[in-house]
Amino acid sequence: MNRRFILASSATMVFAALGAFLLLAAPATQKSSGKSAVKSANAAGSSAAAQTIITVDGVKDIDPDKALGSKNAGVVMETFTDFQCPACKQLYTTTLQRVTDNYVDNNKIYLVHRDFPLPMHAYSRVAASYARAACHIGKCEVVEQALFSNQEKWEMNGDVKGTVAAAISPADMKKVQALVDSGSLEPLIDRDKQIGQSVPINQTPTTIIHTRDGQTYPVVGFVSYDVLKTLLDQLVK
Amino acid sequence: MMQSAPLNYRRLVIWIGRLLLGAIFIYAGCSKIFYPNQLFQSWLLAKFSIRANFSNFANQVDSYKLLPDWGVYFVSRFLPPAEILLGLLLLIGWRLRIWASIITGILFGFITVVTRAYLLGLKIDCGCFGKPEPLTGWTVLRDSGLLLLALAMTVLAFQEARKPHPWSATPAQEQPS
Repeated sequence: MNRRFILASSATMVFAALGAFLLLAAPATQKSSGKSAVKSANAAGSSAAAQTIITVDGVKDIDPDKALGSKNAGVVMETFTDFQCPACKQLYTTTLQRVTDNYVDNNKIYLVHRDFPLPMHAYSRVAASYARAACHIGKCEVVEQALFSNQEKWEMNGDVKGTVAAAISPADMKKVQALVDSGSLEPLIDRDKQIGQSVPINQTPTTIIHTRDGQTYPVVGFVSYDVLKTLLDQLVK
Repeated sequence: MMQSAPLNYRRLVIWIGRLLLGAIFIYAGCSKIFYPNQLFQSWLLAKFSIRANFSNFANQVDSYKLLPDWGVYFVSRFLPPAEILLGLLLLIGWRLRIWASIITGILFGFITVVTRAYLLGLKIDCGCFGKPEPLTGWTVLRDSGLLLLALAMTVLAFQEARKPHPWSATPAQEQPS
């Protein structure tokens, strides 16, 4: 073995070790605190919107119309999504559906859907407004399902309204449209966004799992149900 | 005593290629395995984090709509460790021509699928690194640049092996005058 090979190998190992250290030593900064942002969001929100806000297991500023399950569940799962983000669609249509069936419906998890529309997506804010309005008239699941399932269509032509209208009755659509036009629910979306920024949320989807003993577990990006289940089973014991 | 050959353009390109591509491949592999989830407080959480990261990457591979489920699973599990290994081997420089050729082949594969997705107008994340990055024209341009560098490095590595600089040539390689 020649000297050059040994030198190059050593340099590589040092480089790799340094890289691994930097990656591993990076602090898990995604633990939620965000009290100041929540306060400012509260101040910004309208009084009508503020009345609907609840706190569950220490998780503040939850819009109950955008949440599923029992408030007495031991675990609260907050999911920050953007309706125009492909990974969010994947998470919603696969993982979260199964989490709902197996944990939320069994009162083991309280699932909170937070809106986190990204500026890079032209129609995600509009979609969040329609979804929020639909949730407030009790049509949350059907509209969210329609928006995520048809994401590729409406992101091309911007026809969010048409997508929502196709999923609910004309009478319900009138109510949804009135809520969207009034803008009364916009502060709730702003609040979710500010909570996300205070975490901070660096990408969508991000799921934050809160246990009753105050522990938080941020799960960033798409995660399959089978993988998420390994963590959830430990937390809901 | 044998001396090192002076730095000429051929060796310079090879060195730049090795350092740059080696570092990028190591970072790409590590970021897919260790980012974005970094819950390493316990063995359970570490295992969960890494599996979640692989799951995230599998979703990105799947979004290209090219592979069946088993292919997505294979690529998502195999590619990140392979990137780290190839990056290390490139930096070490041992059997350079083999690893440089493989890396060029992989980059050719990347540019093919990335260009296809771009031309089809797929609104997806590129899956190049751990952090999501929308696939744009810039992604195609960047990958093309890396492919050109890898190609140049590989060709010059073969040339260097065939016609080494007289100072670094072994006695068997020296031409009789």
